[in-house]
Amino acid sequence: MSGGFFGFETSLPERRPGQPQQGQQSQAFNQPRQQFSGFQASNTDETFSLSGAGEEEDLAVYTWGEGVMGSGGLMEGGDEMNDETFGDDIGEISNNFQFSSQPAPAPTTSYTQGKAKIASTQSRYKPKPVADPFAFSEDDFYSSRPTTKKSAFSKAPARPKATQAQSGSVENLWNKPQVSSPAWGTAPSSVTKPTPPPTAFPSHPSIQPGPPGHIKSLEEIEAEMSQMNVNPAQAAPPAKQQVLSLEEIEKQMMETIEPPRQPTPQQHAPAPPREATPTQVPGLAGSGYGSQQALLDSMFPELGKGAPTIAGQPAAAFPPGSEAQQIPQPAGPSPEELARMEELHKRISAKIESMAKYNNCMGSSDKDFITRIQLSQLATADPYTSDFYAQVFSALKRSRMIAEGQQQEGPTVVSVAAGMGFGVGGPVGNRFGQMGQKTMSKLTTQVKKLVENRAQHQKVGNTAALQGALGRVTRGNAAAPRPVLAIPSSKPEHRPASQLNEQTGVHRAALTRKQVMFALEELYDAILELEQMRRDAPPPTAMEEIEVWHAKCQAKVDIIWRRLMVMEPLDISQPHPFISLINPVKGQRLFPRLLRHLPHQQSITLLSLLIATYPQLDVVARAPPPPVADASLLTKADRLDRAKKEAETDNFLHCVIPGVDIIINRCGLGLVAGMLAISAQRSEVWRVASTRPGVALYTAILSRAQDLIRSPAPDPMNPQQSQTADPAEVDQWSKTFTYFLHVLLPHLPDLFPSSVAQKAAFGPGAYLLQGDASHEREGVEMERREAEVWGFAAALAVNAAEEDQTALVGALREKILHTVQAARHPSTTPARADIKLRNVNMFLNGLGLDAAMIE
Amino acid sequence: MDDAANSSISEPLDLVKLALGERVFIKLRGDRTVTGVLHAYDAHMNVVLSQVEESVHLVDVTEDGQALPPRVERRNLEMLFVRGDGVILISPAQQ
Repeated sequence: MSGGFFGFETSLPERRPGQPQQGQQSQAFNQPRQQFSGFQASNTDETFSLSGAGEEEDLAVYTWGEGVMGSGGLMEGGDEMNDETFGDDIGEISNNFQFSSQPAPAPTTSYTQGKAKIASTQSRYKPKPVADPFAFSEDDFYSSRPTTKKSAFSKAPARPKATQAQSGSVENLWNKPQVSSPAWGTAPSSVTKPTPPPTAFPSHPSIQPGPPGHIKSLEEIEAEMSQMNVNPAQAAPPAKQQVLSLEEIEKQMMETIEPPRQPTPQQHAPAPPREATPTQVPGLAGSGYGSQQALLDSMFPELGKGAPTIAGQPAAAFPPGSEAQQIPQPAGPSPEELARMEELHKRISAKIESMAKYNNCMGSSDKDFITRIQLSQLATADPYTSDFYAQVFSALKRSRMIAEGQQQEGPTVVSVAAGMGFGVGGPVGNRFGQMGQKTMSKLTTQVKKLVENRAQHQKVGNTAALQGALGRVTRGNAAAPRPVLAIPSSKPEHRPASQLNEQTGVHRAALTRKQVMFALEELYDAILELEQMRRDAPPPTAMEEIEVWHAKCQAKVDIIWRRLMVMEPLDISQPHPFISLINPVKGQRLFPRLLRHLPHQQSITLLSLLIATYPQLDVVARAPPPPVADASLLTKADRLDRAKKEAETDNFLHCVIPGVDIIINRCGLGLVAGMLAISAQRSEVWRVASTRPGVALYTAILSRAQDLIRSPAPDPMNPQQSQTADPAEVDQWSKTFTYFLHVLLPHLPDLFPSSVAQKAAFGPGAYLLQGDASHEREGVEMERREAEVWGFAAALAVNAAEEDQTALVGALREKILHTVQAARHPSTTPARADIKLRNVNMFLNGLGLDAAMIE
Repeated sequence: MDDAANSSISEPLDLVKLALGERVFIKLRGDRTVTGVLHAYDAHMNVVLSQVEESVHLVDVTEDGQALPPRVERRNLEMLFVRGDGVILISPAQQ
């Protein structure tokens, strides 16, 4: 060691017995010598009982440049016997939680490890300046030996509290070590700040019970400690053994001794750069958990009160022998309670400590900056839609609250810039509700700036696609990085419709599946936009705004109409593009949403197209095959295919047919007749009618026609249709219907699913299909489908003229008889028989007959 | 018409969008595949599926290290959220 580095006395302490009267600093500096001499003595090992620790290592522990170097954080070892060495003093002063709450072993280790990384980076960046100027050897110079320096750092902030009642023993120093002296109190709590280098290794005279002027040697101190250790009054539970290195003790002692820390030149040199950041300024350290002790105290007021503090009072000023005052006996809580609280406190302080290593890494301006960046990302041009579900939820919640009498005011959308805003649709208050007006406006301007900045960047980015187009390779910049893939972003909308309308009579391939899906997604987007637009209706008072709004909505509807491709020529492709669009399930789901927005005329056009091209529908052209008697005869793919088709059919009946019903019910008789005529002309009606969608469609048409003919009661909602059926229209209708019926009649019995199934079945399956109780559920389902056809037959019957009715009954005679017999058959379950009879009666009652008449 | 269809497809996930509401086949890490109706997806390829069938492809090994023929374990789920980091590919289910 370089003796006399600071110009202090470097002679061994034994040779200068009068030293204590010197200034504290010089004593402190001298003390290490003494301690080192103690270590260098042959009793090192037995004194510290450091297993496996060589002399050299022990020496290195006291290499006091090391802490500054920050290269600690290494695995700590050889501490098992520390309590024996240093005394076990926790239990002695039961209410001094600050010091006795040394981190539990586990947190300490983890913290040490965490710290090691920091230390290593520091040493990487500043290898030389932070190296120990006092290293003995090169090994020591870059020493990475076990040290508890780091844990000393970590503990240091946690125990600023101390008593001023310092007494003379080292042990007291440990127990009540830290005076919350002003210097310490304002010191940044960040652990990244190194505590000032141990420029002193103090063994303050005032703490020695021995004769004044005598500086204890380390051996003496240890002897004293071991005495204390055997003192039964001071015995503490083994669980609370302190693991303290001598270094820590020294640090604590030093801290008590020199409250106003004088930065020496040496202290500045090794300080990590972090210390220079403004966040480390003591004044700012108060943010966050700047004063952990304050936090702890606020949580556990009763814990801290045992250690009264008198700030600014140097500990050294206290005379020795005041030890008695130092053990205040708490009157209130029982020892167990205290132990429990202490345990809790320990845990909490360990937790706070582990979090505290990140304290003050960011200044408040940094935090603000990041908040603003995050908020600017959230700002969108369409806050309502971006926040759609929250907004809807909020609207529901608000309406409920208002219904309950609670008034909930506040915007659901906060606008920050032109056309930019946040959705803040929290149901109870908004997310920014707690903010003051001033904060909000400040935030708004800042975010606005950021948002605009971002928009500008994006604009720059768009032109970037053209970069390099002329062969010059551009490198791009931060604002507009060179795109790896140049994808033309916006092309003029180039719809097949316009193209095709120019060249009429041309047949084209049907839309591919991808095109269909793509068109559907576009339609969905458009529909969503339109629905949003409708929701944003201006107040009814603002006339011109409403005009504009109507125009916008109409434009949107036109776009949707064009995209539906309804106006394509009928024979443009097979299937027609519109049919392609409503073939997939999601196209069918779109249908009712579309209808709501289409004006009457367009919906009629759409329905006409749909009826004309009905046979092209997947659910008609590839209707699910009739059920088989035994599902086990089917392959898996077959089963899946059937299931898919059934699902599509169900979906069609569920989504499209109600819409069709609505449109049909708005039509006059002439239109209805026209539609039936279109269908009869363009398609083989029996094929269409043998599918469930076809049956549903025809039933709707026939029912509507019958309604119009029979009861032309004026409909107050639809005055245009209130006129009684025009005789010409009735005539047209009956002609069309007669034609339709005659085309259909020969196939009528085949429309029933049971007939189809019987036809399709062969071998034993044909017999299995007959009243089979084991398939009750399927049987009931079958009857339900039969009911649809019986309903259709009934609609035919009520529309048919007398002679046609006879023909109708003739065509269905066998079916009727068969069904009635099956219903009366003993093997038929009552439920099924009931449905069968009801089905037949649906038809017969239309003709004024009943199944009961049949023998 | 191809032009029209491609005009606003600007990134790969736009193709996944076309499969919304349709049955898709998803290959996952860990020798798993799922098929189901795609309800939602995001940029991380987190997806929400319904009517899911998950298949886990397993190869059992005997005690002496011999690999048995691969087998497939299946299970059906009503609704499934698939975290995107496991997704290898998404394709429309082969009809």
